[in-house]
Amino acid sequence: MQTLHSSQSVRPFKLRKSFATRLEEVAGIRAKFPTKIPVIVERYQKEKYLPLLDKTKFLVPQELTMTQFITIIRSRMALTATQAFYLLVNNKSLASMSLTLAEVYRDYKDEDGFVYMTYASQEMFGCLLPTAQGKLMECLLKT
Amino acid sequence: MESVLSKYENQTTVLSEYLEEFPETDGSVWILGRQYHLKTGKSKLLLDISARLWFTYRKKFSPIGGTGPSSDTGWGCMLRCGQMMLAQALTCRHLGRDWLWERHKKQPEEYHKILRCFIDRKDCCYSIHQMAQMGVGEGKSIGEWFGPNTVAQVLKKLALFDEWNSLAVYVSMDNTVVIEDIKKMCWSPPQSSSAARGTMLSHRSALSQNKNTAGFCSGWKPLLLIIPLRLGINHINPIYIDAFKECFKMPQSLGALGGKPNNAYYFIGFLGNELIYLDPHTTQIFVDLEENGMVDDQSFHCQQAPHRMKIMNLDPSVALGFFCKEEKDFDNWCSLVQKEILKQQGLRMFELVQNHPAHWPPFIPPAKPEVTTSGAELIESTDKLLELEEEFEILSV
Repeated sequence: MQTLHSSQSVRPFKLRKSFATRLEEVAGIRAKFPTKIPVIVERYQKEKYLPLLDKTKFLVPQELTMTQFITIIRSRMALTATQAFYLLVNNKSLASMSLTLAEVYRDYKDEDGFVYMTYASQEMFGCLLPTAQGKLMECLLKT
Repeated sequence: MESVLSKYENQTTVLSEYLEEFPETDGSVWILGRQYHLKTGKSKLLLDISARLWFTYRKKFSPIGGTGPSSDTGWGCMLRCGQMMLAQALTCRHLGRDWLWERHKKQPEEYHKILRCFIDRKDCCYSIHQMAQMGVGEGKSIGEWFGPNTVAQVLKKLALFDEWNSLAVYVSMDNTVVIEDIKKMCWSPPQSSSAARGTMLSHRSALSQNKNTAGFCSGWKPLLLIIPLRLGINHINPIYIDAFKECFKMPQSLGALGGKPNNAYYFIGFLGNELIYLDPHTTQIFVDLEENGMVDDQSFHCQQAPHRMKIMNLDPSVALGFFCKEEKDFDNWCSLVQKEILKQQGLRMFELVQNHPAHWPPFIPPAKPEVTTSGAELIESTDKLLELEEEFEILSV
């Protein structure tokens, strides 16, 4: 499966760049593309199943809806319809699918001018229990 | 109801002791769409909970795949929760939501038929063997942990081989339930196997054929609706809690699959800010079919105190389940969702839409990754152009 970059972890965008730099970046790009929304899309740090996107910064048409945007991201990752994929705004909210990016931006933009989104699949459930023989379950060895 | 309860007097007395920990308040408990008042309805509440089929870790079943594990302790908890949710759907389908289990009493034939679907044998259609092996197609090797979506996808596939129940299993994608797709799926006639029209129907052709052999005429197929969600990243976002609880009040509720980190639970209801669940984390010995096709069912009902946990401890990865036996049940569910879930404009727990979104790919898994070029990149499936501008990806309509 698409686990090519799964083990790599990247420092979050906010930690890579200073506030001033981010502010400046948004100002520049908004002047150039006033109808596009600057979006940061990052993988959840503990995500194990979804691949890393090759880009973090997106300029998205403001009239695009969340559901359309998610379809684009899904497509870039070549996910199948049965794979779980969630894009959460500000690390916690599933923005309504019918909202446009302009509306999401209005409601959730960061003080630096970007809107931040995190993607993740679902957690898996199991317990790390020793078997009767005292050896750990096979699943332990894989993780 | 009263006669049933009187027969149960002895048993419920014992059970009530377990329930002492339930606070003496005027509050009410919701269990799978039914409301119980704590002051007056405790024994009924207990009977309802103990009637649910309870699936736990088992050991000493025949090795999965011939050489695999003979116990699911440590890895099977989410699979067991999926079994419990499906068993609840089958119970609603064949016995009705009001049916109650009575210990040591002869149960209807349908009850035994339902139970037989879940015995840990490779020839039982929803056994741990079938579930673990069907998980391989979802990228899970045998013994690997499942998430709520994984188990939902597995149930969807296994249901295709279940001629007796002819369930239509719909698992939502991107938090979105599409009415049109569900109606097509549930009304699909027995022989529409050629209907590959880029909708979900094409995915269902095998199902349609099965229906035919089962002798079901065209009608509404009972719907098992599963909505996998992620209600936060690390923790559940409190904004979804009311909507989450609301789901247990709906008459169509099959509860929810989820848990706390690492431990999967089958959530069946709530009391205030606590969720009530059936816990699969008890290893019991494999119980086989008896010669007459019956099953000793004592170990398949949880007769202990119902477990509770604070809703804020819920892991954000969950899947809601609903059962709509008739179309009117689904229509009713839609209006309940309109009323209770969609009222929050900005932050809906999930979406309910009439039509299949035009930009969505058909239900068939889309093709492989797009070809990357050095300059601009094309996203094929949505015809959205992606250009490279400095470090930005610019999306255009």
